[in-house]
Order: sequence, then C-alpha cells, then structure tokens
Amino acid sequence: MNENRPTAGRLWRKNIAIWGALLALLLLSLSLAYVPMGRLTTAAGIVIAATKSALVLLLFMELATSKSLIRLAAISGLVFVAAMFALTLSDVLTR
Amino acid sequence: MSDESAVLREPWLDFDRQREAAKFGIWVFLGSEALFFGALLMTYTVCRVEHPEAFAAAGRETNIWYGTINTAVLLTSSLSMAMASQAAESGMRFRRLVLGCLLATVLLGLAFIVIKGFEYKEDIDKHLVPGAGFALPQAGAQLFYGLYWLVTGVHAVHLSIGMVLVSRLFWMFYQRKLRISENPELEVTALYWHLVDIVWIFLYPLIYLPGRAS
Repeated sequence: MNENRPTAGRLWRKNIAIWGALLALLLLSLSLAYVPMGRLTTAAGIVIAATKSALVLLLFMELATSKSLIRLAAISGLVFVAAMFALTLSDVLTR
Repeated sequence: MSDESAVLREPWLDFDRQREAAKFGIWVFLGSEALFFGALLMTYTVCRVEHPEAFAAAGRETNIWYGTINTAVLLTSSLSMAMASQAAESGMRFRRLVLGCLLATVLLGLAFIVIKGFEYKEDIDKHLVPGAGFALPQAGAQLFYGLYWLVTGVHAVHLSIGMVLVSRLFWMFYQRKLRISENPELEVTALYWHLVDIVWIFLYPLIYLPGRAS
C-alpha cells in the first residue's frame, strides 16, 4: 500500500464496494430463508455467511495482501475449527 | 518518520518488526477466538441435528427485523473500522478521516447494543427465557434459547470490549498522545473488531433464519 499512496476517495470507493456486496449478500440471505428448499435453505444461509466472512477476512482484514506468516496464523484457526466440526459430525451424523 | 520511537516498544529494535509481531500475535489470538465461538456453534449444530423441528419453531420466534438491521449495523461498523485502519496505514494525511471513522465505529457498536437491548426486552416479554413459564412447548426450543442467550451475550461482551478499545484509540489520537500513521494498536484493534463482526455474520443465519420457510 505504501508504494502508490491511495487518496481518501480511492479508499472510500474500494471499501464501499465491499460493504455494498456484504449488504447485498445479507438481503439475499434474508430472502432465501423464506424459500422452502428443505435442507438447502439452511445450507444457503451458511454458504452466504461463509462468503461474507471471506470478503471481510480477505479485504477488510487484508489477508489478500498479507505476508504468508499472517495468512498461516489465520488459516491455522480455521483448520482447528474444521477439525472439531469434522470429528464431531462424523459421530453425530452417523448415529 | 521521526516519531516512530513514540510507538516503538520493548523488545523490538525496529518498527516494522513490531508491526508484524503485533499482527501475528492478534491473529493467533483470533484463532483461539475462532475455536471458542466454534465450540459454541458446534454445540448449536449438534442440538439442532437432534431437534430440527424445535429449532425451526424457536427460530421463528426471534425478531428477524432486529436481527437483520443489527447485521447491517455491524457490517457498516466494519466498513468504518476498515477505513480508519487503511487510512492510518497509508500515511499521516488522514487524521480527520481516521478520527471520524473511529467515532462512527463506536457509535455503530453502541447502536447495535441498544437495538439488542430492545430485542432482549421483547424476548423476555415473550417468555423466551428457558425455565419455568417458557413460551414454547418443545424441549429442544429451550436448548435453542439457552444457546441464543449465551452466544449473543458473549458476543455483546466482545463487542463492548471492542468499543472500549476503539474509544481509547479515538481519545489518544484526538489528544495527540499517540501517532496515527501506521499505528500497530489501531491495526490490531481493527482486526479484533472485524472478527466480532464475522462471529455475528455466522450467528445471523443460525439464530434468525431457521424455520422461516416452513
């Protein structure tokens, strides 16, 4: 970021675009919740939440431009959460 | 950058290393937070798998408007927090922008808490607190609301801590007691704030959206 010093206008345009996408996803999530699709309805809500989180992680939290050490620390959290869900659900869902 | 010494702390000899270490440290902490909230969401998932109808009935009782508006409020607070952090990162020229965005972030956080307060009031009036006199007949619905109070409560505590941290930074910057440009404390606080937002992003479909289609 230091090479080409951004102006306030450029910062606003970039971040408002991300914010707009987040709000659009929120409305999509809200409307899809009323469409009866069985289990897909729940899945849609979670997939949209994951997409919104990815936007926040990569762009607001700047993981997209972070050094690999920082990315590794971030991913390690996700890996352990994924392990917890995988191990628990492999029991609960197969009873 | 003559005032780098003002933000440089022991044991670092170099400002860039201090910034990188601070970022690394907060990400490790955020990883532990992800596991903390992950465990609560795991509990929710297991309970929901075992009581799908009760969770749908319980989810229908939540107030979707409070939930949706509060999600929008938090997403907007992440916008102002990201603006403050990125503006500070790109130099000294954005003092007023940084101060304004930090203030907006705290006010949006406060708005969230106030809206949540109204929602809690309504939940209590509708007898949605688990225990004697609970509104819904299904046993699983009490599990849903037990988790609802726990998770939203813990989230509100996190948000309140974030508000204290952001207010402190605003005051220190306003009083010119801290350097704004490339300040590691601001970067770390911003990352924490975004994580609290992400937790809510996942809570939204799990709390407010179940049972709407049926």
